[in-house]
Amino acid sequence: MGSSNSSVNNIPNAQELMQETGFSAAHILRLHERFEFLDKHKCGQLRPQDFGAVQELALNPIGDSIISAFFSPGQETVDFASFVRILAHFRPTDRNQSRDGAQQEPANSSIRKLKFAFQMYDQDRDGKISRAELLQVLRAMLGIQVTEEQLQSIAERAIQEADLDRDDAISFDEFRKSLEKVDIDHKMSIRFLR
Amino acid sequence: CHYSRPSPSPSTLLLLLLPSTKPPLPERGLLLLMVLVFLEGSVLPLGAASSPDVTHQANSDNHIVKEAGHNFTKKPFPVLSLDYHHIQAPFEISLWVLLASLMKLGFHLIPRLSGIVPESCLLIVVGLLVGGLIKLAGEQVPPVLDSRLFFLCLLPPIILDAGYFLPIRPFMENLGTILMFAVVGTLWNAFFVGGLLYAVCQIQPGNPSILHQLELLPCLLFGSIISAVDPVAVLAVFEEIHINELLHILVFGESLLNDAVTVVLYHLFEEYAGVGSVTVMDVFLGIISFLVVAVGGVLVGAIYGILAAFTSRFTSHTRVIEPLFVFVYSYMAYLSAEMFHLSGIMSLIACGAVMRPYVEANISHKSHTTIKYFLKMWSSVSETLIFIFLGVATVEGPHNWNWTFVTVTVILCLVARVIGVVGLTYVINKFRIVKLTTKDQFIVAYGGLRGAIAFSLGFLLNKDHFPLRDMFLTAIITVIFFTVFVQGMTIKPLVELLAVKKKQEAKRSINEEIHTQFLDHLLTGIEDICGHYGHHHWKDKLNRFNKKYVKKCLIAGERSKEPQLIAFYHKMEMKQAIELVESGGGVKLPSAMPSAVSMQNIQPKKLPPAKPAERALSNLPKGREEEIRKILRSNLQRTRQRLRSYNRHTLLADPYEDGLGDLLIKKQKMIELERKIKDMNNYLTVPAAPPDSPTMCRARLASDPQAYSMKPEPDSVPTIQVDLASPQSPDSVNLMDEFRRAEQQHEEDQGLMMKPPSGESGPKKPGEEDGSREHKLMRCLSDPGPSADEDEDEPFLP
Repeated sequence: MGSSNSSVNNIPNAQELMQETGFSAAHILRLHERFEFLDKHKCGQLRPQDFGAVQELALNPIGDSIISAFFSPGQETVDFASFVRILAHFRPTDRNQSRDGAQQEPANSSIRKLKFAFQMYDQDRDGKISRAELLQVLRAMLGIQVTEEQLQSIAERAIQEADLDRDDAISFDEFRKSLEKVDIDHKMSIRFLR
Repeated sequence: CHYSRPSPSPSTLLLLLLPSTKPPLPERGLLLLMVLVFLEGSVLPLGAASSPDVTHQANSDNHIVKEAGHNFTKKPFPVLSLDYHHIQAPFEISLWVLLASLMKLGFHLIPRLSGIVPESCLLIVVGLLVGGLIKLAGEQVPPVLDSRLFFLCLLPPIILDAGYFLPIRPFMENLGTILMFAVVGTLWNAFFVGGLLYAVCQIQPGNPSILHQLELLPCLLFGSIISAVDPVAVLAVFEEIHINELLHILVFGESLLNDAVTVVLYHLFEEYAGVGSVTVMDVFLGIISFLVVAVGGVLVGAIYGILAAFTSRFTSHTRVIEPLFVFVYSYMAYLSAEMFHLSGIMSLIACGAVMRPYVEANISHKSHTTIKYFLKMWSSVSETLIFIFLGVATVEGPHNWNWTFVTVTVILCLVARVIGVVGLTYVINKFRIVKLTTKDQFIVAYGGLRGAIAFSLGFLLNKDHFPLRDMFLTAIITVIFFTVFVQGMTIKPLVELLAVKKKQEAKRSINEEIHTQFLDHLLTGIEDICGHYGHHHWKDKLNRFNKKYVKKCLIAGERSKEPQLIAFYHKMEMKQAIELVESGGGVKLPSAMPSAVSMQNIQPKKLPPAKPAERALSNLPKGREEEIRKILRSNLQRTRQRLRSYNRHTLLADPYEDGLGDLLIKKQKMIELERKIKDMNNYLTVPAAPPDSPTMCRARLASDPQAYSMKPEPDSVPTIQVDLASPQSPDSVNLMDEFRRAEQQHEEDQGLMMKPPSGESGPKKPGEEDGSREHKLMRCLSDPGPSADEDEDEPFLP
């Protein structure tokens, strides 16, 4: 198959991506293969329909939200670079990472991971999870087995518990606080992306 | 009759103990303790003295004489006679259990002591004392740590307790690490210790010491016995230090899973020690055997677990025997595994862990409490007995002290453990997401305690095959003592010193639950997108399988379809409602309280506690509370329907549980009643004491003639404490403390304490106030406290 390095060089901006996300060459290669597998029309961009090739996503209650998370607001397609950048969030955190001062927060830090999750709740990107957005998520997760009344109760209670500044919505800080006991580095990491 | 009176020494010693001045309370406790020890010690030789072995001759003589005498003279009818033999065995057993329990009581009367020395050490000392007393009395010490007794009676309750309440999620997440430590670590320890011991014994200089007799295989056997970390000792010590969940599950999981390795090595070496050599074929068979033992044990346990879950599906009409199924199935799983020489411990753990989520969905609330309490009680008593017996067995011997052997063993054990842990962690960290730090490694290494299992295994050795058995036993006991005393006592200060992360006590909030589920789904989705069949993928598949097929089979009725989030939510609502009731609905009392000037003053006091959860709950809109009640009522009505089918003479339906829905309605009625009451004296019906004591709540309601539609037994209402101990109210154990505190606070609060029904912090409150006490009570006084609730909230499979 030739040396992996040469194949990596076929991928545009591979080095830049590796630097930015911390993925190794092997990973970039693997992800590229996957990207090409999903990209049936070979146009170098993915559309939401392309994600349908992954059957398990259909069974996932929040599958649609996940797919839409790959696309920046307003954009209809996602290219390889964005694909990789999104997946970089799920790399296990490197504790001993040394950062130069100028470099921004790496994609797989706890904060960025949380931010990613938060944005999946907060569809309209206003920086807060409103009751309606929470209800939407709950509805998706719990499905038809639960009555509307119960959903409302749960959403109500969740907001009451988390909402510290009493604005009837959950801001990012409140979200972070409610998850402080959960080990985000562990929970939101996929080992194979190390 | 050959009943020897115990020598006067105990009583004289007692007299000597009595000081001239009146001792303060803790010293009085110590005195009581000593009295009890001596009393027990003096009765036991009595029992030992009349054991058939010793007195058989004498008794048969007496018997013959009596018979002979009977034919000739008519003796007067014996009005009162003493027949100890009749009840000897159960009496002695009860005496031992009583001793164990009294010891436990005694230790907690002496707060300083129990803070410094872990309970296990104290119990061993007591065992030594009792054994010493028996020896002093000149009698033969009963062989109490008989291996059969130990493995069949004393060990299972502890393991079942551990298995049933095993926190599945952290266990599964760290399974790889745990298995590495358990299997590879134990193997390493066994061979290292055994091999080096043999080497040392061979090069032992000078006089033809008995050590030269020692061959390689017995050494390896000894190594395998001594290298296993003991779950009983680990539990006993780690319970008190409250270390973070990860370390706890690592050490504890290791101690459980290494049983399979120990069993295989033990049998392997024991078999071939006689022959004298082990071939490659044997080693290969040994490896196969290990797999069979481990997997077989788990399978047996799982099968029994599923059977138990299935049985519990049909118990809705016979609630009384529900706990029995859990216990009997588990015990049979253990015995079945032992029958095939599979790993009984692993089988028991598997059984408990598998059956728990389904059984809990099926059984009634009270059965759940019963199971919990019985398990804690039995395991507690078992543990106490084990340590006491260890002490007694130490005194009895047989001992063969050999300086070289013993010291080398101890040193090698320590060294092997440290090297093993460090080496393995180096390898494991390559695969872990959250790496183990040096501090973690130290605690894991230091927490490798040996215990009674090692001793029992040594005891089982055949003296003919192993002439140096006594030496082995002595060395084993020394290692056990060393680990339990030295390591057990110092681990707590070391944990403090190294600032190791402690256990987090707080409850799971609904937010955490929602978000964790969300993240699970998210990660599964991402894994699918990456095309990677990872951890989450398989977990998700398992969950789906569970939801679709297994739950339908094993859970009765509608609950099989209930999503985990809903179940969790209902549980929280229940807890909240119970707390609301216990606070006397105090928050809702209107300020227009008659003649309650003090009330007005107290009202503002309730606002300062700024916990958001409290505030949230105290400011619940009226409609919200109604909603909660509605949901509760609908749930409780279902429960009540099932409970009504109790047989009249089996159990009285507990008015508290059944009438909870009614209770809430009655509470509101009472509140309205209060509004009309002008007289302060009628506050008998109103929470007169801090409203967070369940007994008070009961007493209040009992005095209200309208409170009950059904007629409970008058004395059972305030005194049923066990039933009240729903997992939600850890107060039940601290009832007496609550009472005392209630009385003390009565003055300050002038009748009505407007403490907000601290939803989240309520159960935490007693924990915070006497934090260490609460924690110590965890296993000892049977109420697991808030931390156990975490385990309950986390299901096996969502």
